[in-house]
Amino acid sequence: MNKLEDKIINRIYKLETKKTFSYMLSRVFFIFLFIFLFFVFTSVTVDILNEQRSFDLLVFFRDDFEVMKKYFTSNLMDFFQEMPQPLTLVSLITLAVLSIAVFMLIRNFNKIKNKLISIYKFYKKL
Amino acid sequence: MLTDKDIILKIKNGEIDYFSFIVKKFTPSIYGLISKKISKKEDVEDLVQNIFISFYKAIERFDTNKPIKPYLYRIVQNELKMFYRSRKITFSLNEEAFINENTLLVNDDYKNYLNILSNQQKKIFIYIMEGYGYEEISKKIKKPVNTIKSIVRRARIKIKDIYEQTRG
Repeated sequence: MNKLEDKIINRIYKLETKKTFSYMLSRVFFIFLFIFLFFVFTSVTVDILNEQRSFDLLVFFRDDFEVMKKYFTSNLMDFFQEMPQPLTLVSLITLAVLSIAVFMLIRNFNKIKNKLISIYKFYKKL
Repeated sequence: MLTDKDIILKIKNGEIDYFSFIVKKFTPSIYGLISKKISKKEDVEDLVQNIFISFYKAIERFDTNKPIKPYLYRIVQNELKMFYRSRKITFSLNEEAFINENTLLVNDDYKNYLNILSNQQKKIFIYIMEGYGYEEISKKIKKPVNTIKSIVRRARIKIKDIYEQTRG
């Protein structure tokens, strides 16, 4: 009976090792992919804004409070209108997906850590 | 002393080493139950392993307020069904009247009733319990499939009569 129990536990660990590592690899790959995509989309957006000199619209932030108050709404509206809309949207979506993936990873962190410790202990014992 | 609920909660939290408690606790009973139905030791061991793996895979969905044993036994039933199906068993123990799903007069009680059968009927029933189909049995006994079927039917009726007499 002990042999059978060992066989079962062995199979469970094999299964779990595969599952945990594939989960971790997929999550890490996913997160890095979205970081890269976010970086690409954001840099392209910033380049376009630089070319258009749209950032000049935000220079008023350096002025006095009265000037800021006067131009705040209109300048920001102009700035947003000058932004490349589709690219900005894609960047925001990428950021949202990235945040969700990171949040999920953090939420499951304790569980994954426990699994890794169990797996490590099991293979160390062998 | 950890309860089953604590163990399940720990496993759900990633502490998979606690699964060995479940394996150690339930393996003997499950092994006993399956070995009553299947005589081949290798098949029994494979099934027991599959049952625990299925349970492990389903543990995330498992309701910790419910007991483990009935859940495991349900997996046993499903695994057995799949096992019989994979062996292409053409006869179903449920198809005849003497099998009542609630009484589960399957292979457990069969062995007790074997003594009332003739040698030929006994031989066929043992083959059936070992997982052979009608065609395989007909080749082994060198009789047509239909003859085997009628021998089985007569034996079932015989068992049914005795069963009804003894259980009132």
